[in-house]
Amino acid sequence: MAAAIFSLFIFFISLFIIQTTSSSSSSLPGLQILHAERQIDLSSHIVRVYLTLKVENIEDAPASKVLLAFTPTQFDHLSLVKAAITFGKKKKKSYVPLEVSPTELPNSPNETKYYAISLVKPLAKGETTTLEILYILTHSLEPFPVEISQSESQLVYYHDSAVILSPYHIKQQATIVQIPSNKVESFTQVEPAQRSGSDLRYGPYEERSPYSNSPIVIHFENNHPFAVVEELEREIEISHWGTVQVTEHYKLANAGAKHKGVFSRVEYQSKPTASGVSSFKHLLAELPPRVHSVYYRDDIGNISSSRLRTNSKKSELLIEPRYPLFGGWKATFVIGYAVPLQDFLFESAAGARYLNFSFGCPFADTVVDKLTVKVVLPEGSKDPSVKVSFPVEQSLKTKYSYLDIVGRTVVVLEKKNVAPEHNVPFQVHYKFNPIFMLAEPLMLVSAFFLFFVTSLVYLHIDLSLRK
Amino acid sequence: MAQSAKPISSPVPDVWYPTLAVFMLVIGLVITASFFIYEATSSKKNRSLAKELITGAVASVFLGFGSLFLLLSSGIYV
Repeated sequence: MAAAIFSLFIFFISLFIIQTTSSSSSSLPGLQILHAERQIDLSSHIVRVYLTLKVENIEDAPASKVLLAFTPTQFDHLSLVKAAITFGKKKKKSYVPLEVSPTELPNSPNETKYYAISLVKPLAKGETTTLEILYILTHSLEPFPVEISQSESQLVYYHDSAVILSPYHIKQQATIVQIPSNKVESFTQVEPAQRSGSDLRYGPYEERSPYSNSPIVIHFENNHPFAVVEELEREIEISHWGTVQVTEHYKLANAGAKHKGVFSRVEYQSKPTASGVSSFKHLLAELPPRVHSVYYRDDIGNISSSRLRTNSKKSELLIEPRYPLFGGWKATFVIGYAVPLQDFLFESAAGARYLNFSFGCPFADTVVDKLTVKVVLPEGSKDPSVKVSFPVEQSLKTKYSYLDIVGRTVVVLEKKNVAPEHNVPFQVHYKFNPIFMLAEPLMLVSAFFLFFVTSLVYLHIDLSLRK
Repeated sequence: MAQSAKPISSPVPDVWYPTLAVFMLVIGLVITASFFIYEATSSKKNRSLAKELITGAVASVFLGFGSLFLLLSSGIYV
């Protein structure tokens, strides 16, 4: 009897061990991907990848997370990962956004990095769901040749894999790569792969095991302006006397193929279609409506080459740097504007206010390597807190401006690798007592009163020596 | 939150700032002038300190708010 119990015990122990080992080594293949479709948009310098995955749970345990795998280089260049779950068929399709966060797994092959998508409802055995994923890669097009002269057009490399890197088994998959023009120098052939016009189609590939990889290189023409802001500092200053002032310090660069040889202004002006095709000479910023007091200057002074068009929905500011930006060239400038307070500042509860402002860079199709957003709150505001829909680094500072005694609280937000998709509103909540608005005028009043008192004292003292 | 949110505007409409600045500064300077005229014309014995202080206080209130609105209307938002 005892022996029987002991053997049963051993059996359960071994079962338990088998289960734990099997779950630690293959905690992922609880899912499989029935159908995957990937669309890589290479038409600008920002690589946007749209992924549609049809996921099925093949294990007993319900799955609440779906993992996305990235190579270490891709992971470093990753700017944004968004996921949504789709319901319904074509016409009545609805999207529910899902939470995405980077995760780490032990013993991942080839230092693969992961993002985990948390499903709203765990997937039971045999159930399928369709996920729509968008991820954005910056600095992922490598110019080759590295240096070009003024009359050449720009060619770039894009490295990826013909099959989707995934920790799951993929039954069927296909990839479409969109190239900006018909000029493709070369692309890696992974049968079946074909080119039609400006589209490259890889696949369909059937039954690929987890972590399968087949590197591809696409060499193509891309004359899209590679506008990169290396450093952007936005200062948003709130004044309860009626305005929000924004000052933006830019360090703009053209991150395309470096310019080689001399720059001929005559050739550039006379043959705009053949000369300097990869360079850019103006940028368009979308500013809020009812913007006023706009300026555009640099260290030398005002730059007069800018246009501002305003309508009731938005304002468009077209700026031209002092010179066209060729590959590797840089420009530093400042843009400032003011917007009415009532468009951006709101009262959420008694004494509590919040600012609702857009986070990213207002320029279209621009990547920001390092973005610093400083929100200068009015003097006397308390308990600042920030609501942003993506992770940012936060810190607090104090700034002294006109007529300040204790200084203004500055909320500093920092983020690296910012894409145009990050240009979404964020909120800064704080508490403010309107009585503090009187601090500045009372300071001025007391200064004038002090002047009157001094003159009174001077007139009342008898400074004469003779009595 | 979006429903309960109420936009906040400045206590004084922006467009009034230049007018307010001009009028308050003019009134302030006139009172300042009367203050110094009073100082210069009345003799030391029949001056009243209370009157002097009140004139000074009223003048400094007008000059203080006037200069605040001058700052605001010229784009220096304090």
